[in-house]
Amino acid sequence: GTQIRSIKDEFLVPMGVMQSRIKAITNKHGLEDASMDVASLICHAVHERLKTMVEKLAVIAQQRGDLLIKG
Amino acid sequence: TKNNSSGDQTTQLLSRPRLQELVREVDPTVQLDEEVEEMLLQLADDFIDTSLNAACSLAKHRHAPSVELRDVQLHLERQWNMWIPGFGNDELRP
Repeated sequence: GTQIRSIKDEFLVPMGVMQSRIKAITNKHGLEDASMDVASLICHAVHERLKTMVEKLAVIAQQRGDLLIKG
Repeated sequence: TKNNSSGDQTTQLLSRPRLQELVREVDPTVQLDEEVEEMLLQLADDFIDTSLNAACSLAKHRHAPSVELRDVQLHLERQWNMWIPGFGNDELRP
């Protein structure tokens, strides 16, 4: 069958810490507690965001290194 | 503890060892300066806070009592062009 969840469920941010941050923010907005899935989704999203950023930094650092060698 | 963008005194969500682990996953040859690590930790914190605050605004706009997955998904897609698979309504995707 089709694999539904391809991303490993090993979270970048501990779930308990993430949930308490979510609770603090949702309560500040006068909203009820969000489901566990929301915490899980945010964890995956921050993983993706950091991964993209590190990949870009690696390319930039590599190019800077190349320029130094040429110079 | 530190001050985050919303002004709350909170602990940092992401630990330095976990960030270093992620960096090794991306590229084992990359080494980050301490300042860069600090910046990335701050970036992660800000990303989480802004995403959650945006999701809360969307939930309130829907007159819903709580934040749902679709609030976060809508923000991530609109703001970051980001779609995380495996959260329920993948059949709606092309």
